[in-house]
This record gives sequence, structure tokens and C-alpha cells, in this order.
Amino acid sequence: MDPDAVAKAFVDHYYSTFDANRAGLANLYQEGSMLTFEGQKIQGSQSIVAKLTSLPFQQCKHNITTVDCQPSGAGGVLVFVSGTLQLAGEQHALKFSQMFHLMPTPQGSFYVLNDIFRLNYA
Amino acid sequence: MEEQIDSVGKAFVDHYYHLFDNDRPAMSSLYQPTSMLTFEGHKLQGVEDIITKLTQLPFDQCRRVISTVDSQPALVTGGIVVFVSGSLQLPGENHPLQFSQMFHLSPTPQGNFFVLNDIFRLNY
Repeated sequence: MDPDAVAKAFVDHYYSTFDANRAGLANLYQEGSMLTFEGQKIQGSQSIVAKLTSLPFQQCKHNITTVDCQPSGAGGVLVFVSGTLQLAGEQHALKFSQMFHLMPTPQGSFYVLNDIFRLNYA
Repeated sequence: MEEQIDSVGKAFVDHYYHLFDNDRPAMSSLYQPTSMLTFEGHKLQGVEDIITKLTQLPFDQCRRVISTVDSQPALVTGGIVVFVSGSLQLPGENHPLQFSQMFHLSPTPQGNFFVLNDIFRLNY
């Protein structure tokens, strides 16, 4: 398992799915998955996707600046992302950081066990 | 359970940055041979290399402000992931630099935690 390859593939898939169709993120999370979104804690695929699809914007585009990853033990991969988020109709892009803790599935892919998102305000 | 994770995360962050600011060599107690640090994209492994890097960093008279600390249990590993954001004011610089840092704390047999994973990024 090459953590860099896993991280790159995951980041590409996650943000392109997020920007095109947030509901499609459902199969990246499981019942034990946790999301902390701007300090709000949510658990389980259903509640997480409900939160993400209810965010108050229709269209958005993530631009990724940095991706760092490390193996976390037990086959997991930690992914640390920074970038900007452009919301449709907004003049300035928002800066954000996000970390994912990916764990392997029996089928040979990965799901998101831990997900923490923060906007970076000046 | 949730509050416990939050307080462990917060206590760790306070301890980590206290050592960073006051006794950087003592940070060796936080890492083990399997520990990994990625500092601004530069990857290091093991206590010696990590402490060498951290003690070389210039941030001697910097003022750090921690804006947010988020923690979650990493149930599968028995560890805790901690996500920090804040700013660093370096002497002579006009504007503070924003940074984000994430830690994966792994349990020790003695019931403490050590830093298995550590990733630091400035947010330009």
C-alpha cells in the first residue's frame, strides 16, 4: 500500500464528488465515521451526508494547494489538505484545511473514519 | 466519552506547545521510533531526526495564538486525532502567519499517548 497514491486518489475523488454531487459522498463514510465541520460534531454516514448536502450553497469549487499524508498504523492513512473553496456568487475564495483518517475496507478500498474541516480565517 | 476526548486533545495541545516554546529538546518524550513528522512537506521519522528538525526551527521568539482545537477518537487504532489551527507572529514580520497542524496520538502501555503522526503546514 502506497500512502501517497492512496491519498492522491482519495483527494481527487473526494473533492470532485463534493463539487459535482455531494450526496455521492455517502459511500465514503460508514456508521462509525465521524465528521467535525467547523466545530460541529456529526457521526454516521447518513447524518454526515445530510450535513454536507444541507450546507448553504449550491455550487462550489475546491482548489487544493497542499496534500500531506502518513500511514497511521493498522493499514490506515492520514491525509492533511489545505486549499481554497470558491462559492458561486462570492467574490473571494475561502481558505480551508481538512484532515481525513482513511481505513481500509475488506474490498480493498478505503473509507473515511475521521474527517475534520476548518475554514482558515485571517 | 466525547468530553474526555476533547480534554485529552486540549491537554495534549497545551503540553506540546508549552514544550515547543520552553524546552524543545524535552519534546523527545512525545515521540517514539515509529513517529513521523511532515513539516512543510519535509518528511522525517524517529525521535532523533524529529527533535533535530524541531530544535533547528527559528521560531524562538514567536507568539502563537491557537484559534481552534478539534479532537476525535480514532476508534480502530485506539488513538486520538487532533486538528489545530492558529497563527504565529514572528518578530519583525508585519502580519502573523496562519498555520494548521494535525496529530495522531497513539496509546502507550502505561496509559499515556505518544505522537505517532504529526503534520504541520503554514496556510499562505
